[in-house]
Amino acid sequence: MPKTLSALSARMDLLQSLSGLLLVLFIWAHMFFESSILLGEDAMYAVSRMFEGEPLFGKPYPLLVSAAGIAVFLLVAVHAVLALRKFPGSSRQYQLLNRHLGVIRHEDTTLWYVQVITGFCLFFLIPAHLYTVITQPENIGPYASADRVWSERFWIVYALLLLTVHVHAAIGVYRLVMKWYAPTGVQAGRTRARLKRGMWCILAFFILLGTASLLTYMRIGYQHADSAGERYRPASAPVGAR
Amino acid sequence: MEIIYTDVLVIGGGLAGQRAAIGAKRRGHETIVLSLVPAKRSHSAAAQGGMQASLGNCLGASGDNEDIHFADTVRGSDWGADQHVVRMFTHTAPKAIRELAAWGVPWNRVQRGEHEITVDGQKRTIAESDAAHGLITSRNFGGTGKWRACYVSDGTGHAMLYTMSNQAIAAGIPVHERMEALALIHDGGRCCGAIVRNLQSGKLLAYVARATCIATGGYGRIYRVSTNAVINEGMGAAIALETGIASLGNMEAIQFHPTAIVPAGILVTEGCRGDGGLLLDAAGHRFMPDYEPQKMELASRDVVSRRMEEHIAAGHGVQGRFGEHLWLDIRLLGKAHIERNLREVKEICHYFLGIDPVRDLIPVRPAQHYSMGGIRTDHRGQSPQLRGLFAAGESACWDIHGFNRLGGNSVAETVVAGMIVGDSIADFCDSPEGELQVSTALVEEFGQRERQRLAGIGSGNGGESAFELTRLMQDTMTGNVGIFRHGDRLREAVDTLQELQCRAANITLRSSAPGANPELVAAYRLQRMLKLAQCTAYGALQRTESRGAHYRADYPRRNDGEWLRRTLATWPAPEATLPSLDYEALDIMTMELPPGWRGYGDKDHIAHPDTERRKHQISAALAPLGDSADRYTRQQALMPFEHLLPPHLRRRNQRLGDES
Amino acid sequence: MNRIPVQEVRRSLQIRILRHNPHDPASKPCLQTFELEEAESMTLFIALNEIRQTMDPSLQFDFVCRAGICGSCGMIINGRPGLACRTLTRNLPECITLAPLPGFELIGDLSVNTGKWMRGMSERLETWVHQRDLDRADIDQLEERMEPDLAERIYELERCIECGCCIAACGTARMREDFVGAVGLNQIMRFRLDPRDERSDADFYALVGDESGVFGCMTLLGCEDYCPKDLPLAAQIAFLRRRMVATGA
Ligand SMILES: Cc1cc2nc3c(=O)[nH]c(=O)nc-3n(C[C@H](O)[C@H](O)[C@H](O)COP(=O)(O)OP(=O)(O)OC[C@H]3O[C@@H](n4cnc5c(N)ncnc54)[C@H](O)[C@@H]3O)c2cc1C
Ligand code: HEM
Ligand code: SF4
Ligand code: SF4
Ligand code: FES
Repeated sequence: MPKTLSALSARMDLLQSLSGLLLVLFIWAHMFFESSILLGEDAMYAVSRMFEGEPLFGKPYPLLVSAAGIAVFLLVAVHAVLALRKFPGSSRQYQLLNRHLGVIRHEDTTLWYVQVITGFCLFFLIPAHLYTVITQPENIGPYASADRVWSERFWIVYALLLLTVHVHAAIGVYRLVMKWYAPTGVQAGRTRARLKRGMWCILAFFILLGTASLLTYMRIGYQHADSAGERYRPASAPVGAR
Repeated sequence: MEIIYTDVLVIGGGLAGQRAAIGAKRRGHETIVLSLVPAKRSHSAAAQGGMQASLGNCLGASGDNEDIHFADTVRGSDWGADQHVVRMFTHTAPKAIRELAAWGVPWNRVQRGEHEITVDGQKRTIAESDAAHGLITSRNFGGTGKWRACYVSDGTGHAMLYTMSNQAIAAGIPVHERMEALALIHDGGRCCGAIVRNLQSGKLLAYVARATCIATGGYGRIYRVSTNAVINEGMGAAIALETGIASLGNMEAIQFHPTAIVPAGILVTEGCRGDGGLLLDAAGHRFMPDYEPQKMELASRDVVSRRMEEHIAAGHGVQGRFGEHLWLDIRLLGKAHIERNLREVKEICHYFLGIDPVRDLIPVRPAQHYSMGGIRTDHRGQSPQLRGLFAAGESACWDIHGFNRLGGNSVAETVVAGMIVGDSIADFCDSPEGELQVSTALVEEFGQRERQRLAGIGSGNGGESAFELTRLMQDTMTGNVGIFRHGDRLREAVDTLQELQCRAANITLRSSAPGANPELVAAYRLQRMLKLAQCTAYGALQRTESRGAHYRADYPRRNDGEWLRRTLATWPAPEATLPSLDYEALDIMTMELPPGWRGYGDKDHIAHPDTERRKHQISAALAPLGDSADRYTRQQALMPFEHLLPPHLRRRNQRLGDES
Repeated sequence: MNRIPVQEVRRSLQIRILRHNPHDPASKPCLQTFELEEAESMTLFIALNEIRQTMDPSLQFDFVCRAGICGSCGMIINGRPGLACRTLTRNLPECITLAPLPGFELIGDLSVNTGKWMRGMSERLETWVHQRDLDRADIDQLEERMEPDLAERIYELERCIECGCCIAACGTARMREDFVGAVGLNQIMRFRLDPRDERSDADFYALVGDESGVFGCMTLLGCEDYCPKDLPLAAQIAFLRRRMVATGA
């Protein structure tokens, strides 16, 4: 009987991918909710109330948002820890990797490297963002968010976050497919090319969507700058009436 | 000098060498394999088309057996082969292929039901039986009566060599890679190992062994245009020759393969024609049926190559940028077939010619391909002159190929010979003869001699260039000792080679880089290759007849009366420039198949008086058996051979339909 | 011969070679440029031999079959791993940079010890058919049957020529010296597919179920993109990963 290896490697590899996948799904869904601002302040207000559980409990509980934020944070932490195993572990490895990247011309290797770099940036950006979400869950809404973006200069963080997270997510999804279900057969090459084109399209879509919403928040925040701190009051009282 | 001791030293990591090593190791003898390159890169990997073994599974092979394989091989050899050995070979080939099947070679299998095939330029549909489904299938090859070449797509040699190497690794046989045997250590009658050069560091060391087996492949690189790998320089045969004791058999028997691509000389397999491909001339005319109405494109290689050159000489060649050539047309086989069964061919065409054989014609011309000659051995694979020296594979003249080898018989030979010779090496080591007492003084003496030779090359200042002289040798061989030979041209070649030998003593090295030093390698190999080239040219000059691949325009007929003999070359002294030739007669009176017409090629030959006598003898021996006797009994009555085989290889081969 | 000479403009090639002879203590790695007139149908095999024969006889490189079959001549050609013998110069720009395959022990100049690496890989992954009593297989009887289609699928994976391009192209292999690489994982798949091999997935897990095996692969796909035999490496590794997760987790 050959030596036995622990199941840990298999589990960690699976968990790394699963956590990444969940985060991607989360971030894409998150984009749609966030961009509800494009449909107007009321829509965004309704969405944020919804996440505070108002339709369910009759009254908003911002703590729910904190809890969700903590969950996402934990997921990010798990993912980051697992993924960081793949970072060059020593300066020697780093040198070897760098030399490799310098010598070999290869697109997918470059894509992976982009993921490593964006992952590294996310390591700082995500906590910054989640910190506010978790500590000030009640401060999410058309005006509150817009004020943060504009008056508190958070747009810089968000712009960076937008770019890095979507680049990271889109490449991540493409690589997930190749990692677990790489196409086979005579059409394999073509399928992979299509996957890659799909990846670029998704990336472009979310960057556009995100930029549009961010600009909208910035506009609202700019217009609202004088009365920063004031909360939004919907035009019609019942939730989701529009 | 570092000395490594082992029971068995196998020089050569191709199919033959590794199979022999496995055989010896299984019998409990420590075995080391030496190779110029990693074993899996040996030239056996390049064999594409197939391995002959009379399994008789698919429809085209049904009814096949050892007898037909035997007759095809003897006819192919133009009666130059040793018929006892051919019997041993054809009997063991099915076992060899089944062993490889068990070890992991993914042989292509028979698929039940209807198939479309291409025969004689036409599409036909055949149906394979249910009974054969899943057994090893085979394809048609030149010079055979049945479809007998078992194959793995067109990567047969690759699959075989990888399986063989992996089994050798499993058996724990060390392969000392990038090691070159430079000389055999011997005491005049007994071989005791080899002096070896490390091709990474340039260091010399000695391997002392009870038995030494040479399996170093062919020597095609003495020619300029050859399908062989660049390492096929015949160093194994050369170091045996340099003992002055061991002899080389039939060195003039050189095969030219019909379809090497122009200009690179890379082979496209005979499987192309076996599967239905055609040869066309400049006018797009299929010319082979004009010359060979019976076998057409599938006559034996010597015949097809000669007909192609004849056709070009008659002005029908295609004028290409690299001289004249003909076309190989496999378009009619269809895209699906090419991409499944001829994918290496497709790759080669794509990368080296920039064409797609599904749509385009392939430019081909015959090129040097195989060395029938080599170290002469007895039926057990041992040199008759030097005890403890064995040889197997292309480097040996065990002699199943005579003057022309059939496609697919070579990789089959490597494995079969490996099985048989591996066993006789073990027998030898087990016997009192296998005991070895060798003094370190002897080893040092041989080591010292090689060291001096190398130093001599390094310090020469005659101004000659090893690379330049090699080119001259290769041009001479391709120009004068090619498909069509003539006394005058051969004489010229012999003179040129003698001159080159003198010049090779005056080589000056431009580089003295530490380590292997590729220029030094080229220089010392050249000196040895020139001797092999001289054996070839001189043997060809002396043989005043045409037989198999050896064609003398000035003596166009096969002459059994005078030349039913094997050439044996030895090198009389280190400073000699010509080999001494000796001849070994083939005894018709013991032949199972007396000489006659091959069934293709020229019908005209000069018969030996014994031929008729033997034919009568055969009729007389068979008559009392009547028609009811089975083929084994009849064969036994003519030429018993089983006793020559190791006991575990003597049993009969089961075939589809036989009771087990 | 009535050949009409074709007037063609011959390019002059600049071939830059990364040179180093570890056996020479004085040697330092450096790029050396050779100028060479391009010939019709010239491959890097022809070009390098011409350089050695006419310019620098000490230049080291490996060729065996010169036909893209044996896997000896892998090197980095303008930043891409590939087989030099079947690379036509006409498909390259005038300036050609050649470097030895990284990831293997350097023998000298363009020659690296892929053989040693591959033998180590074979020993470690036991790349042979594991079957009890294999040396007593009955070779007089009909062979075991196999589905024709399965035989072809095994051959598809068997086509690897152990050239090492996938190792040179792999960032993981660069960082982790114990990584078995696509070549090793592919061989595991080849034997896993083979019904003659009696090993189970648990046995294979013991061989490749860790970071030096399938879980080390980061799906960089350099192997897939530069394998000269176009083996379906990504798909095989993905499949193996799923099987190993199912076995191990
Ligand atoms: C292109 C091509 C296609 C072919 N196709 C077919 C085919 O379809 N069917 C068929 O039956 N035959 C075919 N053949 C012929 C067949 O491949 C060879 O004859 C056969 O493989 C030779 O095997 P071998 O073991 O004798 O030698 P090789 O496989 O040539 O091995 C020789 C070994 O010896 C080593 N060596 C050499 N010199 C030394 C030295 N001085 N010191 C140490 N080691 C040394 C080498 O490193 C190598 O490992 C083909 C040949 C060619 C060229
Ligand atoms: C602290 C934050 C993060 C860090 C440090 C990080 C780091 C990394 C790294 C280094 C990789 C490459 C690992 C590999 O190829 O094996 C990776 C993969 C991946 N990441 Fe992240 N990441 C972070 C956040 C995110 C987020 C927020 C998402 C979702 C949008 C995400 C989705 C993915 C996906 C899908 C993969 C591919 C998974 C795989 O290869 O198994 N990551 N991450
Ligand atoms: S998998 Fe491909 S690239 Fe890797 S060694 Fe095999 S043939 Fe070469
Ligand atoms: S997919 Fe990437 S990491 Fe995995 S073996 Fe191939 S090149 Fe290496
Ligand atoms: S020399 Fe054999 S693959 Fe290039």
